[in-house]
Amino acid sequence: MYLNDFEYYAPGSAGEAFELYGRMGDQAKVLAGGTDLLLMMKQKLINCRCLIDINGVKEFQGIEYEAGKGVNIGAATKISELESSTIIKEKYHALYQAAGELGSAQVRAMATVGGNNCNASPAAETTSPLVVLKARAVLNSTAGEREMPLEDFILGNRKTALKKGELLVRFLIPDPAPGVVSRYANIGLRDAMEIDAVNMAVSVEIEPGSRTVKFLRLVMGSVSPRPLISIEVPALLEGREYNNDLIEKAAFAAAGEAKPISDIRASAEYRREVVSVLARRLLHEAFSAAEEVKK
Amino acid sequence: MDSKNFSQVGRSVTRIDGPDKVKGNAIYTDDMVMPRMAHGKIKRSPYAHALINNIDYSKALALPGVLAVITGKDAPNKWGIVPQTANEVALAVDKVRFHGEGVAAVAALDEETAEAALELIEVEYEPLPVLLDPFESMKRADEVLIHENEPNNILHQGEQLFGDPDQAFARCKYILEKDFYTSYVNHAFLEPQSSLASYDPQSEQLQLWSSNQVPHYLHRQLSIVMEMPMNKIRVTLPAVGGGFGGKGEACSSDFCAALLSRKTGRPVRVTYDRYEVFVTNKGRHPCYMKMKIGLDEDGLIQAVDFDNTMDGGAYAGWGMVVMFYTTSMIHLPYRVPNARANVRRVYTNKPTCGAMRGLGGVQPRYAMECMLDELAEMMGISAYELKMKNAVESGYRSVSNLYVPHTEYKKCLQTVVENSGYLEKHGKQPFGKGIGLAGGYYISGTAYTLYLSYKPHTTVLIRVDTEGGVTVHCAAADIGQGCNTVIAQMAAEVLGVHYEDVHVVSGDTELGTFDLGSFASRVTYASGAAIKEAAGQINEKLFEVAAGMLNCRADQLKVKDRYFTSVFEPRKTIEWEKVVDVYTNTVGTLTGIGHFSPPRLKGIDLTRGERVQGANIGHSPTFGFSAQAIEVDVDVKTGKIRVVKVTEAGDCGQAVNPMSVEGQVEGSIMFTLGQALYEEMLLDDDGRMMNACLHHYKVPTVMELPEMNTTIVDSYDPTAPFGVKESGEGPVQPTIPAIVNAVYDAIGIRFTELPLSPEKVLKALKEKQEIKGKL
Amino acid sequence: MKQQLIQLDINNQIYEVPINNRDLLVDVIRKKVGLTGTKKGCGEGDCGACTVLVDGAPILSCLTLAVSCQGKKITTIEGLADDQGNLHPIQQSFLDHGAVQCGFCTPGMILTTKAMLDKNPQPDDRSIKRGIAGNICRCTGYKKIVEAIGASAKKITAGGIK
Repeated sequence: MYLNDFEYYAPGSAGEAFELYGRMGDQAKVLAGGTDLLLMMKQKLINCRCLIDINGVKEFQGIEYEAGKGVNIGAATKISELESSTIIKEKYHALYQAAGELGSAQVRAMATVGGNNCNASPAAETTSPLVVLKARAVLNSTAGEREMPLEDFILGNRKTALKKGELLVRFLIPDPAPGVVSRYANIGLRDAMEIDAVNMAVSVEIEPGSRTVKFLRLVMGSVSPRPLISIEVPALLEGREYNNDLIEKAAFAAAGEAKPISDIRASAEYRREVVSVLARRLLHEAFSAAEEVKK
Repeated sequence: MDSKNFSQVGRSVTRIDGPDKVKGNAIYTDDMVMPRMAHGKIKRSPYAHALINNIDYSKALALPGVLAVITGKDAPNKWGIVPQTANEVALAVDKVRFHGEGVAAVAALDEETAEAALELIEVEYEPLPVLLDPFESMKRADEVLIHENEPNNILHQGEQLFGDPDQAFARCKYILEKDFYTSYVNHAFLEPQSSLASYDPQSEQLQLWSSNQVPHYLHRQLSIVMEMPMNKIRVTLPAVGGGFGGKGEACSSDFCAALLSRKTGRPVRVTYDRYEVFVTNKGRHPCYMKMKIGLDEDGLIQAVDFDNTMDGGAYAGWGMVVMFYTTSMIHLPYRVPNARANVRRVYTNKPTCGAMRGLGGVQPRYAMECMLDELAEMMGISAYELKMKNAVESGYRSVSNLYVPHTEYKKCLQTVVENSGYLEKHGKQPFGKGIGLAGGYYISGTAYTLYLSYKPHTTVLIRVDTEGGVTVHCAAADIGQGCNTVIAQMAAEVLGVHYEDVHVVSGDTELGTFDLGSFASRVTYASGAAIKEAAGQINEKLFEVAAGMLNCRADQLKVKDRYFTSVFEPRKTIEWEKVVDVYTNTVGTLTGIGHFSPPRLKGIDLTRGERVQGANIGHSPTFGFSAQAIEVDVDVKTGKIRVVKVTEAGDCGQAVNPMSVEGQVEGSIMFTLGQALYEEMLLDDDGRMMNACLHHYKVPTVMELPEMNTTIVDSYDPTAPFGVKESGEGPVQPTIPAIVNAVYDAIGIRFTELPLSPEKVLKALKEKQEIKGKL
Repeated sequence: MKQQLIQLDINNQIYEVPINNRDLLVDVIRKKVGLTGTKKGCGEGDCGACTVLVDGAPILSCLTLAVSCQGKKITTIEGLADDQGNLHPIQQSFLDHGAVQCGFCTPGMILTTKAMLDKNPQPDDRSIKRGIAGNICRCTGYKKIVEAIGASAKKITAGGIK
């Protein structure tokens, strides 16, 4: 349970970080929260020559909201900060919920939202809410900055679109329209410190004065290698009045779209079953919340 | 002693070691530092079953910082907590029998080097077929033998017959026969095993500090493996971070530390990491049980037939004893006039099973309490009524000669039913919500030592003088259950001083007097009895001196609250310290010594007057009882079970420290809840454990904590010292069946396999719906 | 690799410790600084026994590099009692409520509690549970721990203690 030896760098600025990482390339790993990286190093699944600790780079931290534009979340922002941010709670509620369900108080104090997504574990808690909120990942390196939708950033189990020397530096989430609400739910075997057997996030808006679904986006996590953006659920519900029957159909459709695997935590069949239950409950919760907002 | 007039016993005092623990000052084995201390690590087998053809550790030895390497050949003597079946070794000799078995150990200047050295040890294995199921083990014993001298891959089998069950069944109106399976679970105590050994080559003496709960048994095993006389070995327990039975024998770490220390002439410490805690296991035996119960038309149990195939894992360990506990546990807490048991404890290539809280009881209890629930339904009466009809009462003697001097089991049942509203709620809640009832009991210590011996099971030496005050010596093991505290309370009670005045020297085979160890919930009763004798001797001497000083009769004095006072002339009173001072001056230090030997009750079939094999096991001077009513909420769409409320009532006799008793009860319930709902060690087809970490082996967190209402039922066993009985293993017994019975009340499905995982529950619900749909 | 000397501020005292980059905070605290109150239960971040406070936040020292803790204020269990050795109300409450059995989870549990109460001085039952969900206890069944925390919160608020 001891790590191999490595060189350690703690850059103080973004530029320094890019320069270092650009030079070291795949000899180096980026240390943010460390809850995943250090564990894998202990288990000898990763053996790197150097570690670049980015926790000292102020540019990678913080939550900045600008009305009309959206929110800018530094990749090295701690999960606990997302959990206690009023703006995230009010405007990006699914992300707030996911942050609160991640690990334990200790893990939330250590882990970062960037790390949670760069690890690209299909069970990552914050990915599905970020994708449902249409977050964009901003990458940067000595070669310059680029951005893309988060769903394009995550390429599969533990694979991202990061090029050599590139760092994920922040997330940009657009300002949601006033009537839009988002919700997140997960299920695990036990209630705490869970890595989800299934998780899901939804974003909805309903027309004022009716139950017509103006907009709906649903993203499932832990049931496919990449965040699964549902096509059938919006197809079933958008432009129509929601009711129990329709939600039931949508939940069933979501289960059909899911491509879960069997592992120690749960079997594929069970995951699929749970997807439909979760989808139903989540849609009900989201629609109720959307109604409240309209009042 | 007047049971209602205690002054120290019955106080919920703060634990004697509490302040050190909250300040972080308590020293556990891995906290200790000794000059020149080296660090040991064990290399473990990647195969579940294989021959060892060669071990080359030359490269490891050549690594700078490595001091010594040992293999099984360095200490081939077999040890075992049950000597008749001893077949374990410090490190594997010629063959490994479970994935993770130790094959070599290294001592180095630091832990990192020791870990790196393990990689350099080259072991040539010849893999053998792997047996992972006891039925397969028995079936394929002619092809694959796990132990050469055990031809059927069976450690031991037993047949017990009491009365005439077949005739009794023929008379029964209600008969039920069912199969049950309990899962493969681990204690998951928080402190991994750790052993620090210091061998002195000049005096040829060994001192071992260990995270262990049976210093005496560890002492014996060390003597066998190290080939040293016991009087040259000293076992000392620092603070111990939980045991639950898993530290109730010796450990590879103990032997490796001792051997490496002897080899290097330096202190050596071996501390397990969590993976090693799992693969060395010694947890609860998975049991494949068949139980048959017959009731007559009045609902009285007439016969029980019990068949149990136990998956014991790779070695013997506690196996045989646990096996006979399972057969004993069917005889209480209900009257069972006829019984038969057929049991076998089978070897498999899995980490060995051993003693785990409530050993041998939890499995048959699950079966019996669930079956009684079902039988009650068949009869059309409540489970409560059925249990009350059959519950034993004080003075009961079972057909197997178990004697229950005192019990408040019925009061436990009544209290629990009243407090939980069981009768109002059962069968009347909306689908998905339910309440279940179950009861149980446990021994308060064994009748016999694990090896044949007539010596007392516990000896207590009390020293009183003007320098130290009161010091109680007893090598008992406080593993967090709080025995040091209750020892101090009981001693203070008899001596008439305050709990806070008493020092306890425990857990050390040289400084403390003999004690068998912390298992079978024996310590309070055993030490209590010895304390009464020892303190009685001291009082005899002090009373005479006090009487002389007060000018009254020694037999008309009492001592309480640090004062000797004449019973008839209360103005004649004198401080306890003054009396001690005079005695010390005139005679010297006061000592008293007390011994406890439980009655050597025989396991007999009382109907025939014949001895029954293995039936000596299960006897105890007295028994503790517990009843629980548990409410669950089943999410019928996901299969997740949430335990909402647990109502408990327990008979622990006189509670020496009520707050401690509550802690034991609450802890027992949460501990067992995990086994009921999600704990399970999983192996792949090659016998490798897939979830040997706390990430994937889920133990209850505070988020699973239900509402808990526990009651210490008013009870006092007049045959017991201070009226005490056990608490800490009785309360684990009802939890699983109460949950399972509650789930039946909630969704109409009786689960006969553990754990009740959401997947299992959901699948069963769907099958039930399908069946319903077809009708 | 050659060791380097770093400074760690632990319980308001500066320790100069020779470390390797790969050394974990829990091992440095326990073995190099010699404060053994912080415990190692699993080494993988699942049990919480290794919890210490870093700049007031509860962190798992078994998954933290010592070298990354320079310039931060670390609090271990040994730093909780006051300078006269009087127990912090949380410690006292654990004792009074029987929330300590084997004691191995206790230091981590108490520190997690401190961090929780510093942030949220009047937590309800659910918040208390969420706050210590990352600390496993196998002995007590948690009930007395939750009671102890609730009681200490009231005491701290009443007494204006920090």
